[in-house]
Amino acid sequence: MATLAKDFTKGLWKEIPPFRLVLGLCPTLAVTKSAMNGLGMGAAATFVLLMSNIIIASLRNVIPKKVRLASYIVIIATFVVIVENVMQAYTYGLYERLGIFIPLIVVNCIILGRAEAFASKNAVIHSAADGLGMGLGFTISLTVLGALREILGTGSLFGIPVMWSSFEPFTFMVEAPGAFICLGLILGIMNVLGD
Amino acid sequence: MDILILIISAILVKNIVLAEYLGNCPFLGTSKKMDTAIGMGMAVIFVLILASIITWVVQIYALVPLDLVYLQTIVFILVIATLVQLVELFLKKTVPPLYQSLGIFLPLITTNCAVLGVAILNIRRGHSFIEMLIFSASSAIGFAIALILLAGLRERFEISDIPRPLQGTAIGLVTAGLMALAFFGFQGVDNALKAL
Amino acid sequence: MKDIFKMLVVLTLICAVCGLLLAFVREQTKDKIEEQVLLNVKGPAVSKVLQGSENDLIKDRRTIKIDGKEMVVFIGKKENTPWAFAFETSAGGFGGDIGVITGFSLEKNELTGIGITTHKETPGLGSRVTEDSFSMGFKDKPLTSEFKVKADGGVIDAISGATISSRGVCTAVRNAVAVSKEVKNGIK
Repeated sequence: MATLAKDFTKGLWKEIPPFRLVLGLCPTLAVTKSAMNGLGMGAAATFVLLMSNIIIASLRNVIPKKVRLASYIVIIATFVVIVENVMQAYTYGLYERLGIFIPLIVVNCIILGRAEAFASKNAVIHSAADGLGMGLGFTISLTVLGALREILGTGSLFGIPVMWSSFEPFTFMVEAPGAFICLGLILGIMNVLGD
Repeated sequence: MDILILIISAILVKNIVLAEYLGNCPFLGTSKKMDTAIGMGMAVIFVLILASIITWVVQIYALVPLDLVYLQTIVFILVIATLVQLVELFLKKTVPPLYQSLGIFLPLITTNCAVLGVAILNIRRGHSFIEMLIFSASSAIGFAIALILLAGLRERFEISDIPRPLQGTAIGLVTAGLMALAFFGFQGVDNALKAL
Repeated sequence: MKDIFKMLVVLTLICAVCGLLLAFVREQTKDKIEEQVLLNVKGPAVSKVLQGSENDLIKDRRTIKIDGKEMVVFIGKKENTPWAFAFETSAGGFGGDIGVITGFSLEKNELTGIGITTHKETPGLGSRVTEDSFSMGFKDKPLTSEFKVKADGGVIDAISGATISSRGVCTAVRNAVAVSKEVKNGIK
């Protein structure tokens, strides 16, 4: 039981992606123009991560070693296509805003990384805990980064104005340079906190 | 004229790494040394153009007529993964020196979202075959330029005094941000060209 | 040999299961996606040209066949009786095809208006075909009007500096007028 809790919680702080486990940078930088986008992307990635971890862990003794990467890619891609279809049908606005970064979940190194490093060696229940933890960690990171950029870049949070009326937004924060610098500084802060 | 705008736009104004946010993992992962950056840059140019051509053909002549467009993501990633394997085998057999310099980067390219990203962008933007070729080549060159520039900057970090928490990826990201800011300036070139 | 056989079997099985799963999900979401795309891409233009309708324009759409091609027709109703219909046609502009929704009145032989759905025209120039000042030129015009720009002897004011884009829209509207009778008979 204790190890199960550990598998779950390590993704939330000790190895939180992408701040500690520096993987999956593209969606992190691209979609965090607002907190809502970050949350949506995180939720989509969490679903794929959790499902692919469960399936890969349950098939870990069946899949031959030589074709394991190909099999993982097929399994992950299947869940990505499911997410794509479901989001297009039920959350069209979010689907449009996240754009090509939804199909690109398939090449998110966090997901393939967890499949190879964890799910291929551990029991289903542990892999599910790992996937859920990592996914939630990723969602939290993206939402925090999105909130930060949205507040500084537009003066609102989840679309609701939160800053004083004379606040002059740094539009630079919602553009690409702001994304890189903001993430760089957060990594720096995480390093300070970790020490 | 349109072709020129497409080239300049893809290399400088809408650089795939610095403005379109694609391929950031290898961008930060392989930019610590100049040699690796050049190797990765060349490998990406090679695979990205080849992958774009094949995925474009698959989309137009297989997925659209068969009404299987919703399978785009899964088909494209399998095409790219297979292609990377084939290129690896081919180079190993026929051009060993090239294989030795590019070989270690090839497996990394399957999960480089710039490759899949450009393949999907070609379809979403409705590019013709020629436009697809030019856009893919320019994007790949844009990736290589950004990567090599960043490597040049990061090599200097070894002799500079960087605060300890910022060392490594953190300062790499901040530097990339400043580069993105500089590339932002090219927007003016684009507007000027379009006004012609 | 046994290894290769096992690899093949496992990979084939995985692909087959994934394929089935995806086909199932596709079946479940297909109609909903079509509706969402219509609502978000065509919806704004449709509700503009069929302004004043009281029904759900997207839900009450009909698919009819014209010359063997499927065409989606939106029908506007007032007090439960159809008063106008609209459908999309397209024609080449400066940057690519321009999609135009043209609305036809069922009571009078007039257009109810036009709306642009998709275009790739130059921002600030050709893209101005989406502005009301241009599309108002088509509103309530009789079907017999020359839908050409004034320079070509028609009745439409072209956008200055964007004649090609303006012509593209006119061509799309003429294409729509040309089949409007057939469409009208098709939805009866």
